[in-house]
Order: sequence, then C-alpha cells, then structure tokens
Amino acid sequence: MEFDLLHNLATGFTAAASLKNLGFAFLGCLLGTLIGVLPGIGPIPTIAMLLPITFGIDPLSSLVMLAGIYYGAQYGGSTTSILVNIPGEAASIVTCIDGHEMAKQGRAGAALGVAALGSFFAGTVGTVFIAGFGPPLAAIAQQFNSPDYFSLMVLGLVTAVILAHGSVLNAFGMVLVGLLLGLVGTDVNSGLTRYTFGIQEIWEGIDFVPMVIGMFGVVEIIRNLEQTELPRPHVKASMKDLWPRGQDFRDAWPAVLRGTGLGSLLGILPGGGAVLASFASYTLEKKVASDPSRFGRGAIEGVAGPESANNAAAQTSFIPLLTLGLPSNAIMALMMGAMIIQGMQPGAAVMTSRPELFWGMVASMWIGNLMLLVINMPLIGIWVRLLSVPYRLLYPAILLFCVIGIYGTNTSPGQLALCAVFAAFGHVLVRFGCEPAPLVLGFILGPLMEENLRRSLVISRGDPIVFIERPISAVLLATTVIMVLALIVLPQFRRTRKEAFQE
Amino acid sequence: MFRIKSPQDAGAAVVFMVIGLAGAYLGSDLAFGTSARMGPGYFPIILSWTIFAIGVIVGLRGLTIEGPAIEPVQLRPLLVIIAAIVAFGYLVERLGLAITAALLTVLAGYARRDVSLWETLLLAAGLAVFSVALFVYGLSQPFPAWWGR
Repeated sequence: MEFDLLHNLATGFTAAASLKNLGFAFLGCLLGTLIGVLPGIGPIPTIAMLLPITFGIDPLSSLVMLAGIYYGAQYGGSTTSILVNIPGEAASIVTCIDGHEMAKQGRAGAALGVAALGSFFAGTVGTVFIAGFGPPLAAIAQQFNSPDYFSLMVLGLVTAVILAHGSVLNAFGMVLVGLLLGLVGTDVNSGLTRYTFGIQEIWEGIDFVPMVIGMFGVVEIIRNLEQTELPRPHVKASMKDLWPRGQDFRDAWPAVLRGTGLGSLLGILPGGGAVLASFASYTLEKKVASDPSRFGRGAIEGVAGPESANNAAAQTSFIPLLTLGLPSNAIMALMMGAMIIQGMQPGAAVMTSRPELFWGMVASMWIGNLMLLVINMPLIGIWVRLLSVPYRLLYPAILLFCVIGIYGTNTSPGQLALCAVFAAFGHVLVRFGCEPAPLVLGFILGPLMEENLRRSLVISRGDPIVFIERPISAVLLATTVIMVLALIVLPQFRRTRKEAFQE
Repeated sequence: MFRIKSPQDAGAAVVFMVIGLAGAYLGSDLAFGTSARMGPGYFPIILSWTIFAIGVIVGLRGLTIEGPAIEPVQLRPLLVIIAAIVAFGYLVERLGLAITAALLTVLAGYARRDVSLWETLLLAAGLAVFSVALFVYGLSQPFPAWWGR
C-alpha cells in the first residue's frame, strides 16, 4: 500500500514535473494571482476568465496550468482581503477580520507571509490526503449506483443552498433554474431539442464559458461601474517587514495545524467545503485561544487558521470530483467543465484508465502550491502596487480579455451574444438578491441528475422507494433531511448562518 | 390592496414565476412519460413548476416581511458594456483583432460619464498592441490580426 502510494506519486511527478509543465504551472499561478488580486474579482470570475487560455494545450499541461490558476486565484483573493478588506468570495470573509486589522497595524507583510506559508503547508497535506484516500474512496465510489448518485447530488445541492449568501429560498430557486438551464439543448435520450427556440447556437446545450464569464466577470464590471466612486483601494500599510517574525511563527503554527486538519476533513463534504472550513477554523481558534479578545484586533491565528483550512479544503474538495465525478461547489463545477472540454470525464474511471493523467493532476496540485509560494513571497510588493492601478484603466482591459477568452474558445458571434444575455440576466438576479453561484452548480449537475433519476426509476419501475431502499442513498438522503430540519428547527443554526454571511 | 414590503423579494418572485411558467409552457409539447419511463418533458416540467412554486412563496414573503429596496438601475454601464460585447463578436472577424480590441476599449470607456478621450485612446492603442501580440502571435488564438486575413 505504502509502496503503491509512492509509486503512484512518482508516476505523477514524472508526468507533471517536466520543464514545460512547470512553465505552465508558473504561468497559471502568475495569471491567477494577477487577476485574482484585483478587487471585486473573486476566484470564480478569475477562473472563468482564464479558462479559455488553457484550452489550446495538451490535456496534462492544461490541467497543470488550471491547478496553478486555481491556487493563484485563491491566494490573490486572500491578498485583497488582507490589504484592502474586500473579500472576493465567502471563504475569505473571515480572513478580512484579523488580516485587514493586521494590515492597518503595518503588519500586512506578516499576514500575507503567514497566509502563504500556511496555505502551502495545508496544500501539501491536502495533496497527500488525496493521494492516500483517493484510491480507497474511488473503490467505495464504484459501489455507487444511479440512486446513490442522485441522492448525493441532492445532498450536494442542498448543502450549497444552505451555504450560499443571502436567502435560502432564493438560493434554492437559483439551483433549480440552473438545473433547468442545464437541460437546454438536445436530450440524449429522445434526441429531441429542448428549450432551444430554434437557435442553432444552443442545440448542443448552453456553452459553459460564455455563461460563467457573463454571469460573474461581466456582472462584476457593470456593478463596479454603477458605484458613484469606482473602487479605489487604499493600501494603508507600508510593507517594510514582509516576513513574519519569530513570535508570529510561534503563534501561527498551531493554528495552521488545526486549520489544516479541519479543512482536510470538511473539504470532502459535498457543497462548499472551503467556506465551512474557514468559518469553523476561525471559531475553533477563538475557542482555544487563551485570550479570545485579541480576535478582531489583528490576531495572527485568525489569519493562519482559516487560510490553512480554506486551502486544505480547496484541495480535498477535489476528492468527490475525482472519485465520483461530482463537483461539490461552483469552483469545482468550473474545473469539471474545463476537464470535460479537455476530453476527460472526471470520475473513478480516470484513475484506472489514465493513471498518468490522474496522478499527474495530483502532483500538479502540489507543484501549483509550491509555485504559489515561489511567486508570492518575492512578489507581494508588486501585488500591492497593482492594487493602486485606477479601476477606470483596469476594467476595459478585463472586459477585453473576457471577450477574447470567449471568442477564442468558440469562434462565433453568437457566443458573445449569449454572454451578453447572461450578463443582463445575472445583473437582474443580483439586483433582486439572488446569488448566481448556486445556479452554476445546478447547471453542471442538471443533465447528470436527470439521467440518474431516469435510470433509478427504470430500475425500480417508477417506484421512488428505491432511494431509501439502497443503504448509501438512504444515508445521504437522511443527512440531507437532518440538515434541512436543523435549518428550520434550530434558530441558533439560522442565526450563526446569518452572522457568518454578514460582510 | 397588498403593499409590497420587500421590493427585492417581489422582483425575485417575478423572475422565478416567469421562468417557471415559461419552462412549463415551452415544455408542454415534450412528452411527459411516466415515472418508470421518463419522457423528455418529465424532469424539466417538474423543475419548472417547483421554480414557479418558489416564486409564489418568495412573493408572499415580499408582501409580508420588510426587506431591502432594489438599487436603482443605471442603464448607461449596463447597455454600453453589453453593446461592446456583442459588437466585438460581430466585428472581430471582419476588422481583425487590433481594430476591434481598440474599438471595444473606447466603447467600454464610455460606460462611465467623465471619460478622458486621450487617456482612453492611449489605453486602446496599448491594449490593441498587447492583445494582438499575446493572443494572435503568442498563443495563436483563432483571430485575424487585421481585416481581410
């Protein structure tokens, strides 16, 4: 077993660590950080915008680059949280609390440094976790049958709904709208086109890239332009001491360890593991601290713990994707979309049929984390300066890269029209208090869910009891029911959720 | 008469109800089938009516519980940015990336009120050169650099 693990990792590193692939990892990390660090652009729009540039290269290189973009985008988001107090995504909200406080005290360097080192450590552990538990979990995954898949998707979607911003009901509606949008195009079973209005552009289904760029990237730009004052981040602190001091290390390491453990476990759960992990870690740090009153006033544990947890969970949330072929959150849905475009259907089969691709991907995760450290420790000063480029010069460039990205993926004017439609739609939704992230998860799961529902009901001759007869499915559905009941019955749970999402 | 207490919820309710009804109406000519043999309309129609139901509940919430107002929509950034995206799609094949990129930058610049023409033109030239160099020559993306090629 141990030998297997080493052997597998060796396979992966030989495949992934070629000079060419290291170059792609570097480029991906650099671009991911560069875009992700821009205020108001969280990891989802960053990855959406950069996806198209990974399409022209061979599958493994493109996965390596994608991993780089992913970590870069995540870390870029943390940088903005700490320096300018703008969280790009829910998982960075807690980083803002103490991280920005540290920045105001002139310790931004220490906060950024600890975040980078903690993330690297957590990423390393997370990668080992995937390598060690991936294959056994994949073996369990092979026990999964259609009803189990269906129930797991229900659990994942319900978790995503509960962890979404704002109203639970709206998020539920958005998931369903996403599922419906996912069905647009030709039905594989009957060969009929559904909801296409005779538009040839969408016969094969709505394209993923223009949709996500429209709903996230473009909506973000329009919303920023609507502010009377364009976002102009004030970088208050000087960046004299980049490296954390000895005392910082002593304070931070235990928090990093706890955050990594918590994050690795919570990340496996379907539905937004990273968010859950960072909040749980912050709460834990506050509980175990000898003086909890330091939190909120620049406690380094409040940065180290959640950032490590966030990154560990970001890592292990690949497990459901790579073993079951199910994305557990919107970012994983993006990654899955990219893999499918590369001709790789994520799931347990990849592990056996194309081991070099699977293990290469695992190795590339670690390489990505390493690159992140290599790039960011010396470049923190530059990111800080990038934040002082005025937004009026930045947004035309961002928009240009978005449209080039879409057109480069699929050279048709209709794709840009589609992007425009989704930009307008997303803009309306945000106005009405509906977050688009759950929609993306639903969109990816739509066809899968329909197919598994169909198969389950064929097996059972239309009797829904099949979903509680199979033990795996029954456990998953019971978990779902318990979560929903907890949300309805326990007012305390509801309050925590509300507080957690207050920005 | 009912009074709308939460305009945001009312808006979301309308969106959900419209999508639900449209999904159900447009899906009505797809065979529904039975549970054991789901037709192409089975899943979409169930989804559509559930979306409609959520719309109704959100709407009732909007009538009973106070909620945030809808931020006023500013048409200028919305329309200009959308026009810029669509125009890029139709022009890039005819005019080439260099000119289209510059046009998009200038157009996007006018999504704001107080534009400085010179600054925007400079930015447009810079971005045009940069994007042609990077995407056409560097990454060999499928764009013509100039018209007619």
